[in-house]
Amino acid sequence: MLSRDAEHLYWLARYIERAENTGRLINVNVEMMLDFPIDKSLGWEPILEAMNSKDDYLVNHKSFNESDVIHYLSREKNNLNSIASCLSFASYNSEFIKDDLPRSAVEELNNIEMNFLKEMTTSVSKRKRAKNIYEVISSSQRFFGIISDNFSRGYAFEFLRLGRFIERADMITRIVDSICTSDEKEGTIDLSTLEWVNLLKTLSAHQAYRKVSRGEIVKDSVISFLFKDDSFPRSIFRCLTIIKKSFQNLPKNDEALLFIDKFLENLKSSRIGKYDNERIHVFIDSTQKKISTIDQLIQKSYFNN
Amino acid sequence: MKKDGLINYSDEGNSYDEFFGDSLKIRKHAQKTLNFLSSLKLEELKDINSATISAIQSMGITFRVYQDDSNSSDNRTWPLDFIPRLIKKEEWKMVEKGLIQRVKALNMFIEDCYNKKKFLEEFKIDDSLVLKTSAYKKYCLNKKLKHGIWSHICGSDLIKGEDGDFYVLEDNLRVPSGVSYMLENRMVMKRVLPDLFNKYGVNPVDDYPSKLYETLASVSNAKTKSPEIVLLTPGIYNSAYFEHSYLAQQMGIDLVEGSDLEVGKDNYVYKKTIEGLQRVHVIYRRIDDDFLDPEVGNPESTIGVKGLIKSWSQKKVSIINAPGCGIADDKAVYSYVPDMINFYLKEKPILKNIDTYFMNNKEHREFVEKNIHNMVIKPVAESGGYGIVIGKDLKSNEVAPIFRKIKNNPRNFVAQPYISLSTSPTFSNDRIEPRHLDLRPFILSGLKHYVTVGGLTRVALKKGSSIVNSSQGGGSKDTWVID
Repeated sequence: MLSRDAEHLYWLARYIERAENTGRLINVNVEMMLDFPIDKSLGWEPILEAMNSKDDYLVNHKSFNESDVIHYLSREKNNLNSIASCLSFASYNSEFIKDDLPRSAVEELNNIEMNFLKEMTTSVSKRKRAKNIYEVISSSQRFFGIISDNFSRGYAFEFLRLGRFIERADMITRIVDSICTSDEKEGTIDLSTLEWVNLLKTLSAHQAYRKVSRGEIVKDSVISFLFKDDSFPRSIFRCLTIIKKSFQNLPKNDEALLFIDKFLENLKSSRIGKYDNERIHVFIDSTQKKISTIDQLIQKSYFNN
Repeated sequence: MKKDGLINYSDEGNSYDEFFGDSLKIRKHAQKTLNFLSSLKLEELKDINSATISAIQSMGITFRVYQDDSNSSDNRTWPLDFIPRLIKKEEWKMVEKGLIQRVKALNMFIEDCYNKKKFLEEFKIDDSLVLKTSAYKKYCLNKKLKHGIWSHICGSDLIKGEDGDFYVLEDNLRVPSGVSYMLENRMVMKRVLPDLFNKYGVNPVDDYPSKLYETLASVSNAKTKSPEIVLLTPGIYNSAYFEHSYLAQQMGIDLVEGSDLEVGKDNYVYKKTIEGLQRVHVIYRRIDDDFLDPEVGNPESTIGVKGLIKSWSQKKVSIINAPGCGIADDKAVYSYVPDMINFYLKEKPILKNIDTYFMNNKEHREFVEKNIHNMVIKPVAESGGYGIVIGKDLKSNEVAPIFRKIKNNPRNFVAQPYISLSTSPTFSNDRIEPRHLDLRPFILSGLKHYVTVGGLTRVALKKGSSIVNSSQGGGSKDTWVID
């Protein structure tokens, strides 16, 4: 398979997954805000921090009010990570590889972008805004559904899968970070439980978490679950296992496999649930660096030659 | 005047109509189509028309148009008229033979021009016509290609004159496009008009991609049985990108850009894959000669491959169509094709050529100026219908300035007598009316010769217009070769 095609497939999947996760992050935070008394709420600043976007945001904005931040995260064309930007990068990448993808998957892609951007011009009501973002999430799910159902297993499939799960692992760390960066608050236990429930909901992880952990929802078990659970597809451990599987089906994989095995071991032996926020933050930083190392290994082994 | 339901025809004008003969007598082979059309109400015709458009949209059949004076471009839905263009099989068999004969002679001419130059000597052809043109590539000198083929894929434009005979208007020997639309038109028609199909034995067109693959494979110099073939595109912003992507998919070969290829130290061509570099044996290029290799052609070219021409010269890769084949793709050289057929094949031309006058010949030019109202003036190197002057449309004060322009650069223009293109019924403005059309069949040459069944019919959608190019408001029809 052509290196350039592999690269387009990888980025296509990354951008769709990024659009989906950004959508999840926005929707859950909006819901959470409704539950919190205004003075206890974390606000929108941690989310921008977790997305590495705070500085860029502050260039054109003074405050972190909800509608500005949401506009910035979803529709701002100058924000290269906004949902709108992700979708247009996805569609750009798809132009080159249309001939490689199932026709129905290409149609789904056209629809996501068309439907989302159609609403761009009008000022959107809160209700419509949420619906619009849910539509992006479910379109992304349909796209990958078509791929897993109609696409022959081969190199092309593996590059889509690599892109999707690397992006997902990275986004999970950011979503967790957005809740853990703030100082430990003196709020009631009820409120902090709410945060963890919402975090689980962001990642569609609430039900899965309930299956393995009953009783009170507390930080250490939620974080351990999201980092170390070996069967839920939105845990970092599981994402890495899937990434490892993809590498096993690709050539020139020695270095990557060695690296991922070490990474997995390291995750398994960590006691991240017991860490305080500062240590969690450091751990998340090093996890993000490792994920980016895998990305660099992919570039080096398959795209640049 | 003929008004049968929504069919709106008059007996005026001297164009040949493909459905109606003199006094609007219905041609026998068109009877079933006309019966079918006149049985439909306007609403039904509109339904078929919108079904056609939505089939084209959902199949994603588009073409890209560039605006004048700007770099912007947009993707438009491909225009297709649902009333088929009909050609009888026995007539087509003759055209097929004529096209193969033509392309054989043209290929022999190209090889001759780069070797002994026998034809040029015999006919005392001025250097300005071939040897001193920019299409003549010095690096092709003394080269002989496998099967003697330089233009493996040729798209010839045919028109039907007032006498009902086919004439060749030009031969596109460099990188002709349009064949994907021929194939997709058929797919759409099968969806929207299955009932009419059943009334005729319509000859299938869809073996083109496999014939193309065979042709590409047959010119490989590699020892291996299954050579590595790629399609080289300038990229997604090219007006024919839809076709490049379509053909690559249909043949199951890689669609590559210049940056995906590399010429190694050994002068072989490699593609960059995730497993590393992999040999490429045959390149079906959709890039013009001058952009193929920045070392030899335009040094600014970013869409080509450095060292490609050297590799080709050493027969380490096959390029299709071959570089340098453009010398025969010139409206002045065109006028010699009947002579080429006589000279190389010792045969009589089967298809008619149109008389061509050279504007650098004083007698010719004066004749054309005198008879300008029956003439068409064409720039020799333009395509896509650009720069054509139709004499009968000129006002009297416009003639002199045009001839001043021609005298400044007489080699760049030729003139031909105006031939009114044939017409066929077309759905337009809620009625069925005659519209002018032409036909572009594609001829493949390698180990064997192959001609598409029919070809791409292009139709001028504006009443009375003869401009059929899709970039200028033309449409298309599915071409049915019927038993």
